[in-house]
Amino acid sequence: MEEQDQSHLLPYARRADFKVGRATELTGKDRRLYRFLEIVPGALSWTILIGMILASIYAPFFAAYFIIAFAIYWVLKTIFLSYHVRYNWKRLRHHMKLDWQVLARRFDYDHFYHLVIFPYYNEPVEVLEGAIKGLIDSKYDPKKMIVVLAAEERAGETAAAQGRAMQEKYAAHFGHLLVTVHPANTSGELAGKGSNTHHALHRVHTEVIAKYNIPHKDIITSIFDVDTVIYPDYFNCLVWHFLTAENPYKSAFQPVPLFNNNLWEAPALSRVMAMSSTFWQMIMQERPEKSATFSSHSVSYQALYEIGYGQANVVSEDSRIYWNLLIANNGVFEVIPLSYPISMDATIAPTFWGTIVNIYKQHRRWTYGVENWCYITYHFIKNKKIPLGKRWSIAALQGEGYSSLVTNPILLFILGWAPIFLGTREFHETVLSYELPIMVRNLLIIAMGGLVVSAIISLSLTPPRPDGHNRFRYVVMVAQWIMVPVTMIVFSALPGLDAQTRLMFGRYMGFWVTPKRVNKASV
Amino acid sequence: MEPEIKGLSKRDRTAFFWVLLLVFLIALPAFIFYSSGYRLSFDDDNTTIVTTGGIYITTENLDVEVYLDEERVERPRLFRSAYYIQNIENGLHRLVVQKPGLHTWVKLIPVDSYIVTEASAFNMPELPYIRPIAPLRTAAGVGVYFSNATTTEYFPNATTTGNFIISNRMNRASLVRSDEFEYVEALFASSSATSTSIINRLEEEIEDRFRFATSTGGDVATTTITYIEQGNMRLVPRGDELHARWIGSGGATPYYFCTPQVSSSTIALRLGEHFADQVEEQRLSTTTPLHVENNRLCRTEIRLDRKWQKIKYYEFFPNSSDLVVLQLEDGLYVTEIDDRAWQNTQLIYKGDDFETIVTDNNIYIKQNERYFELLTIIPEAN
Repeated sequence: MEEQDQSHLLPYARRADFKVGRATELTGKDRRLYRFLEIVPGALSWTILIGMILASIYAPFFAAYFIIAFAIYWVLKTIFLSYHVRYNWKRLRHHMKLDWQVLARRFDYDHFYHLVIFPYYNEPVEVLEGAIKGLIDSKYDPKKMIVVLAAEERAGETAAAQGRAMQEKYAAHFGHLLVTVHPANTSGELAGKGSNTHHALHRVHTEVIAKYNIPHKDIITSIFDVDTVIYPDYFNCLVWHFLTAENPYKSAFQPVPLFNNNLWEAPALSRVMAMSSTFWQMIMQERPEKSATFSSHSVSYQALYEIGYGQANVVSEDSRIYWNLLIANNGVFEVIPLSYPISMDATIAPTFWGTIVNIYKQHRRWTYGVENWCYITYHFIKNKKIPLGKRWSIAALQGEGYSSLVTNPILLFILGWAPIFLGTREFHETVLSYELPIMVRNLLIIAMGGLVVSAIISLSLTPPRPDGHNRFRYVVMVAQWIMVPVTMIVFSALPGLDAQTRLMFGRYMGFWVTPKRVNKASV
Repeated sequence: MEPEIKGLSKRDRTAFFWVLLLVFLIALPAFIFYSSGYRLSFDDDNTTIVTTGGIYITTENLDVEVYLDEERVERPRLFRSAYYIQNIENGLHRLVVQKPGLHTWVKLIPVDSYIVTEASAFNMPELPYIRPIAPLRTAAGVGVYFSNATTTEYFPNATTTGNFIISNRMNRASLVRSDEFEYVEALFASSSATSTSIINRLEEEIEDRFRFATSTGGDVATTTITYIEQGNMRLVPRGDELHARWIGSGGATPYYFCTPQVSSSTIALRLGEHFADQVEEQRLSTTTPLHVENNRLCRTEIRLDRKWQKIKYYEFFPNSSDLVVLQLEDGLYVTEIDDRAWQNTQLIYKGDDFETIVTDNNIYIKQNERYFELLTIIPEAN
């Protein structure tokens, strides 16, 4: 499927290694460099964790001072992040109250098309239909939408048939509704959402965009997870941001993913993880220098065309597309936060244990995004046209993010106590040894104050209570935040460490599709 | 209304970051100094920095009251059996652990800056509580004694607890032998047959000095010395005295065996003359030498307080290697091995006409051909 004609690609995107997915795809020095970069995150995390254990045994005083410093840092970090969440929450609520249609009408945007791609696997047809209905029910003319239902051949004929059934039923509503089937076992690809999207973009280019001669610059592409249900004003909000952006063709547009479609059906554990992920994205909305695209997002078709539609050989395709764009554009590309929500599903399964397994696997897939650090660092070394300061700061910030994701919860909640258990007798007899657990406990209690902010914000983002659910559930929805220390370890640190360790040993992960269930409640 | 397209401004975020960094830089040394034992003192209108230490005391009994220098220490919220007392200035401090109905535990503890001194208190009942073990029991498990006496007459030395009746009207045919009675009876019987008297043990100890079990082969008998040990603590009789000897590895010697390396007079001031004397004694000894551990001088043995009486029986207190049960001429005592300042020795059963057996979990007494368990915790109902 890779295009032969590369004349439309940006110069850097023409490089043979531009779309590298893993070290094994390279040769010689480049391969060794990339392999080294794949080892770094896991090695660093393990070094920090093992180092903490060794320090607790051989240098317990140093370890204790470090833990105190770390606990203070954690409290301040909580305050820092809560400040961002709260600000974004205000902005989000403000944006949800606005009539974006009125705002968008200030501009001439009738010539714009929204290309909306829903890659899917074997999700129930109701999920697919819910996503399509969301588009029809939005406050945007569906005739200005090109919808692609991107099925997977490996999911069997049913998936494609469902797409075609939807096409038959809803095609008349949209400008175009295309069903594509991504062939199974395509060489050089990694089966998953990225390769499916990549294939769908090629197909829609041939069958719609080129055929109807739609200018690339007039198309805004939204790549949505199939469980994405848009809020009515999403496309108005998007087009407004696009038209007011300083450089819309060098920008990606990131909504706030609310994993709340099925929040009332989800167990507390799943709700906490869903909301935690939302909060993280809300923080990112206020920290553009750390931001990358995540999950469902939008970008101009022109930008995608210039890089050959991103990669088909990676797991974390949602973020990788942003890094492709940033690097191919020599660092001139940014994420514009929309501070406007889209709704998606919280991870659930028919059984509680199944939910735990699904959340773990989903977060392992997300945290495998560390493969992007290898990619950006590799290309930051290669692409000298990106300002050095920018290269350094992005690589450092991303690296710190992946490292702290894995190590911070374990250091705080488990290894923080290591000097007490592993320290020398000389250490055990000191005031420091006795004060350490008291001090760390008190600091963590202060840090838990951030959870109060989380609980309040999460309640405001919870969909209205459907019939059949007790009011008492609201109390549970507040109390559930007490689980955060556990969820941070089990569903952030451990899957992150798992992912980094796999990458470190070259046991590359495939794309795991989060199972979706029919939503009983809708937004 | 207009959209708020601008997120948090870089300026605001940077300013907030620097404020938090400043807080971190101020808080870090303050927290480190505090956790190391430094405190601000506002005495005499002068604010000064003082250095403090702490005391960590565990109590056998959960509902006791702890006093430090006559001031009540707040009950810990999480661990009821351990108290961590902080902000204590250098010097000797009097620690009292008490509860009505229990013996009071008192100790003078030396506290050093930056260091937490450990102590372990125990409080035995002042009046003995016993659980009679009757030879016969009913089908429901109630022990039966055949007598016209009242309970107080039958067990005059203690308060009784447990299920038993004293009666002459029971039908013996409906009763069964008590398994526990048979077990305890056998325990005392075997103890009498094989018990090692203190004199025998003394002899063994003398042999021990010249070396251990020797097997010369052929028809020469092998001498096997059985010591009473609990964990890494061994009870060693020598003369009329009984010593507790640490036989574990260096590095794990219990805190009360050791003292900072200071002059003999300072040791005497901090821990008592007897402590200083024993340090000097063991400094010269080849059999029980002093050793240095974590910059502290550690003794190998501690002499137990026998109150100038003869020891008739000794054993570790059940489930403890810090406490020893001593049967002296006037009764049964529990004493601590910890001899800093002094050893707390508490009488748990008075008398000179009974036998004692301590097992892993219980203290049994045989008196006037009656068997009973001596309780060291007052039963809830009482």
